[in-house]
Amino acid sequence: MKYFAGIDIGSTAIKITIIDENKEMVGHRISGSGSMFYNYAHQTLNDLLKDLNISKEEVLYTVATGYGRKLFKEADENISEITANAIGAVAAAKEFGAIKTIINIGGQDSKAISLDEMGNVVNFAMNDRCAAGTGKFLDACAMNLEIGVEELGERHFNSKGTPLSINSTCAVFAESEIIGLLGNSHSVEDIVSGVHYSIAKRIVKLVKRVGIKEGIYFDGGPALNGGLVNAIENELGKKIFIPTYPQVTTSFGAAILGVDSYNYQSVGV
Amino acid sequence: MKSKIKKIINNMNLSRVRFWIQLFSFVLFVYGGYFAIDLGSKLPIFTCPYNEQSGATCYLIPLQHQLSMPAQILLGGAGISVIVGLVTFLFWFIFLNKAWCGYVCPFGTFQDWLTSLRKSMGIRYSTYTQNQFERLSKIKYVLLAIVLLAPLLMGVGALGSEWSAAFCQICPARIISPMFSGDLSQWKIDFSTKTSMILTAIGMIFAGLFLVGSFIKKRFFCFFCPMSALHFIFSKFSIVQLTKDGSKCSTCGDCYAVCDMQIKDIADDVKSTNILRDDCILCLKCVAACPENDALHFDIFKIRAFSSTREGFEKRMGLHKPKGDSGE
Amino acid sequence: MHEHKIETPNEKQNRHKAMESVNVLNTLKEGFKTPPKAMDYFYNLFEDVYCNQKALHKDKVKVGTMCIQIPSEIIYALDGVPIRLCNGFYTDDEIGSDFLPQKACPLVKASVGHLSSKNLTDKPDMIYSPTTCDQKTKAGTLIASFGYEVVDVDFPRTKESEISREFFRRSIREFSADLSQKMGKKLSRKNLKASISKIGYAQSLYHQISEFRKNKIVPILGNDIFLVTNAFFFDKIDNWIEATEKLVEELEQRVKDEVNAAGKISPRIVYTGSPPIFPNYKIPLIIEDSDGIIVADETCSSNRMFNDRVAVDEWFVNDMIDSLADKYLKACTCPVFSKNDDRIRRIVELVRSHNADGVIYQAFAGCTVYELEQRSVLEAMEREGISILYIESDYSPSQHGQLSTRVEAFIESLKIKNRNKK
Repeated sequence: MKYFAGIDIGSTAIKITIIDENKEMVGHRISGSGSMFYNYAHQTLNDLLKDLNISKEEVLYTVATGYGRKLFKEADENISEITANAIGAVAAAKEFGAIKTIINIGGQDSKAISLDEMGNVVNFAMNDRCAAGTGKFLDACAMNLEIGVEELGERHFNSKGTPLSINSTCAVFAESEIIGLLGNSHSVEDIVSGVHYSIAKRIVKLVKRVGIKEGIYFDGGPALNGGLVNAIENELGKKIFIPTYPQVTTSFGAAILGVDSYNYQSVGV
Repeated sequence: MKSKIKKIINNMNLSRVRFWIQLFSFVLFVYGGYFAIDLGSKLPIFTCPYNEQSGATCYLIPLQHQLSMPAQILLGGAGISVIVGLVTFLFWFIFLNKAWCGYVCPFGTFQDWLTSLRKSMGIRYSTYTQNQFERLSKIKYVLLAIVLLAPLLMGVGALGSEWSAAFCQICPARIISPMFSGDLSQWKIDFSTKTSMILTAIGMIFAGLFLVGSFIKKRFFCFFCPMSALHFIFSKFSIVQLTKDGSKCSTCGDCYAVCDMQIKDIADDVKSTNILRDDCILCLKCVAACPENDALHFDIFKIRAFSSTREGFEKRMGLHKPKGDSGE
Repeated sequence: MHEHKIETPNEKQNRHKAMESVNVLNTLKEGFKTPPKAMDYFYNLFEDVYCNQKALHKDKVKVGTMCIQIPSEIIYALDGVPIRLCNGFYTDDEIGSDFLPQKACPLVKASVGHLSSKNLTDKPDMIYSPTTCDQKTKAGTLIASFGYEVVDVDFPRTKESEISREFFRRSIREFSADLSQKMGKKLSRKNLKASISKIGYAQSLYHQISEFRKNKIVPILGNDIFLVTNAFFFDKIDNWIEATEKLVEELEQRVKDEVNAAGKISPRIVYTGSPPIFPNYKIPLIIEDSDGIIVADETCSSNRMFNDRVAVDEWFVNDMIDSLADKYLKACTCPVFSKNDDRIRRIVELVRSHNADGVIYQAFAGCTVYELEQRSVLEAMEREGISILYIESDYSPSQHGQLSTRVEAFIESLKIKNRNKK
């Protein structure tokens, strides 16, 4: 069998996806990146292949992406996460129809990507200088509220009052704002929805920079947070599509690219 | 204690106070004769002796008489009597300044009553435009010139004796004042000489205009009054003054809106302290209608006797807690 | 994953407004020392109207006004309810940006945005638009294009001249006739006098509060006062009067008990410039958050609405209408006028009478008239030896840090000046 691997080394997690020659997903794995992410990446790949009963030789082409892509020297090719994300999203959203806009919230950045009819990237915008509006921000908020990140969605929907605005643009200042709100005994639920809306507004601004086009796709870890999805949909006033595995879209895209590169290479030889 | 009295004064219902003072003065000067009152002949108001019951005499009459004396007599010993007359006039005048017009002059009071009559009939007053106002308000100086020059010219022989008391002949007070004691005999034209005929005819016209004018226009005649012009020459020397603190004024124009004499400076001039203008009758309606604390005040010997206050304003304008039935 | 509906544009707008409102109300309630109990009425009012979309005047004819110059006395006398449409919401400002240039005044953009959404709890049945500044004048026509009935009310740009006075009197007579015809009711001596008296009474309540703010120990925050005066834009007048009476009573007690809303050495500030309209209390909140206390203001959303009174000589309908016209023109310190010595004199007078330490002058970026007048006011204050800070801002929630640093520095400089005086 022929297999292809996409490895996405992000700031918080390493995501690996294995696909077959028909570009169907065979398996994927996510692990924290931590301080030694080169080692972790190898280990994760080995673990995943072992689980899937695939030998290393069967993996014909490996494409790395993400911030840490350059460090994974064994890769046959490395590509930017923008391209990988776009390719992965188009493939993952087949059932949803054509997608034109991708929102990606990662650990330390957020992106909006605009695609043309063919699925090519025409424009993109990134918020990469600040943690506000990223997964890290959500982590920090959850920590301050003393709840788990996975609880955020549930809490959001239980909010009865008006979502409380978080005014600070900066994640660090926002923390003290949240502590202040807690101090004045506002409900955790209203704070959570406030946090979600503050991220959502920021994201929508980002999306507006590339232009909002119908067919919106949202991925990255925070896409698992239903509350945040709800907030973004409300701010956009539009339905957005969430893939089954929102965290691995980019590695999925990298793997798909690997198939194409492999085929191209073989033909060329 | 002092502040309490101040508050009572500042909160007073000015129009009522004024009404009673005016009524008293009217009786005093128009019917004073019945009570054998005679306050002399140098009063700075139109208290006309053509009305036989008047309690005093308008200064313009003796003034014209004195000035009409032949020049050599006037420049001789008789000059002293002119000066004495003037001093007496000023003696009266400095006590009240132009408040003589606003509170004492029976002729002014009569106009206010015509205004009340109009008000009770539900008819609205008329006003002059600013241009008209500026032109009309000069007429009083022309009339003052007639008061002073006609007798002088007569004295030097340039005019004949029919010019004696020329102003009185055209003055509507001569015709109207006697009516208060039932005497209609002044409603006539004197055909003795051509000059008299013209002058008394003008007088008749003025009297008619007066009645109609003051019915539709507040204090119609006061714009033209030569006495008012004469007052203004001396008003600086009076012990009572109308003053303004421009820094407290918002130029809202409330004072201007209520001013019978349409004096615009009262609202718009924020630099002058002395805000008494030649047309002013010192009725103090402006002070009563001013909503700013201490922006306008009436001073006696430079002491604030009556000041504008917010509280007084609210009282006088009837700004009280709404009753359930009003409005909504 | 949760099943959820996506908000409609109106729902989204409402949520945004609720979020903006709650944010300010919470700050007022929690960010400072205990506010007067009587303020609860106002906090709840704003929450009802802006968070819960409660309509206040269902069975009444609502007369929208685009600016302060439409006499509410006349509207009340004719049984209408005046609703002032000046708006302070950022979300409406964003909506309005689709209709007006990016650099336009946020207040005008917000008002236009609000009306364009048609999402109003107390929707005006007709709108009167005085031709004050350029942007408001043009906004009137724009709003008419959304399908509202908008009537322009001519407003002159000089106020010293007799021509202007006569002009505006005629303009207000026209307005009265037009409204009277639309309402099917005549102005009478009785109804007009009653409403002049009522508004006058409401004004006198404001003046009583102003007196308390002259005290060394200031019993209430300037931000709370902005809320009270802002409520006058749309509240039921009788309720407003009742609530404000209670506030006056409580403040009287607070003065006796020496309850201080500010800190021990908080510099006393006079606020002037573009009007803070709920919930855009950005600068006022920064001021009081930086240990300043706003003791007075010179703005059309607060002081100017209450300061100027109506005096009538003969209580005939025409006389009352003319006096009302005078009130809204002659005393007005709006920067749209050619000359504006009155505004400078008003600021100086407020500084002196309230014993203020400094003036903070805010102009909305795009609020041309206030931007234009900045220079002359600054020069005048310098002549008078009054410290002044000029700030430009807008409705966006960002640049908070920069603004607060500037305000803080100014307030600290006032503190130092005060210390050195002693």
